[in-house]
Amino acid sequence: MRRVLLLALRDLRLEVRDRSGLLSLLAFFAVMLFVMALALGPEEAPLRRAAPGVLWVALAFMSTLLSSRAFALEVEEGTLDDLLLTPGGKEWIYLGKLLFQLLLLFPLSLLALLVAAGLFYLPLERGLPLLFTLFLGVLGYASVATFYAGLLARLRGREALLPLLLFSLVVPVVLASVRATAGLVEGLPVAEVADWWRLLLVFDVVYVTASALLFPVVLEG
Amino acid sequence: MLLRLLGVSKRFGRDWVLKDLDFSLERGEVVALLGPNGSGKTTLLRLMAGLLKPTRGRVERLGRALLLSDPPAFHRHLTAREHLLYDLAFHGREGDFAGALRRFGLPEGLPLQAFSSGMKKRLALARLLLLSPEVWLLDEPETALDAEGRGLLLEVLKEARGRGGVVLATHDRALAERVADRALTLGEA
Repeated sequence: MRRVLLLALRDLRLEVRDRSGLLSLLAFFAVMLFVMALALGPEEAPLRRAAPGVLWVALAFMSTLLSSRAFALEVEEGTLDDLLLTPGGKEWIYLGKLLFQLLLLFPLSLLALLVAAGLFYLPLERGLPLLFTLFLGVLGYASVATFYAGLLARLRGREALLPLLLFSLVVPVVLASVRATAGLVEGLPVAEVADWWRLLLVFDVVYVTASALLFPVVLEG
Repeated sequence: MLLRLLGVSKRFGRDWVLKDLDFSLERGEVVALLGPNGSGKTTLLRLMAGLLKPTRGRVERLGRALLLSDPPAFHRHLTAREHLLYDLAFHGREGDFAGALRRFGLPEGLPLQAFSSGMKKRLALARLLLLSPEVWLLDEPETALDAEGRGLLLEVLKEARGRGGVVLATHDRALAERVADRALTLGEA
């Protein structure tokens, strides 16, 4: 666990010191939300109806970019070999890269929620259930994104391949996240939304476990 | 025995870089790997480290192997001190990183983007000493080093021999003759 935490903190340190990756991510995210808000017009009702979908599209793209970035840090500097030559299993590399993304994605998700509240009239009265939905959805998405980013890390054209491979697997996570968020925005009782949470929880457990177990095998290739 | 290669061949696309190679490394032994550019020295070191899989044959590692690549890979936004601390933690080891940096004449707090090639090579040697593998795989460790750096390299090679075995890929025949017990030459007809 110590290695997992240290790898995540080291990557976070690299990302903060480099700045260019984080800034481009934030710029992309802001432009995307503004364009969507402009495209949907000034009426409150359509904006509010579109808010859950727009929010999760933004989060999905941010997570995809960030997962690619997590391994680009190693590939660009040629340091992936050093991680591969550490003793013992290689699951910790996957978990460290996943934790790095989550440490960035959760604050970014909060920011996304606030921007969506401002631009799309997304109500924040049910803040805690919304945050819980963000946590489950982001974890599910990032778990698969990290796995595929690691799988493709040493291939040319990985930026093009990653979304193609990733989106087919994460459709259930995105759908469940959007439905849970929409349910909360529409004022459905928590008991009804909880079905989507349970589904997300199952996906999260399955994806994180399967990815951690398979990761050492794909790295060997 | 620390390392054994049995009938190892490696192909990239249609080109065979190595064919039917047998090799073994004993404890306390330094083996020089010689040959012109493109003869497969780096490929062989990566096979020995386990970073590549042979197309045919088998590689048996009976000791922990680490590779000093050329050029050595580091994160440019980390300092030498941070790099050594993370490396030690990732390998589950402890060591006197401050002493190692002093010995190799390296600044602790400077980001590696400000390091010259020779300083990076020195840091790679310091890292290897701290991580102390049993199989030391060195890919042209002498390049970019000044006279003092080469002296440090000779000290490292002496210590490495005491801790395990060394495979040293080099174009420097004088260095090979000085430190190696035997040589394996690749790319010969």
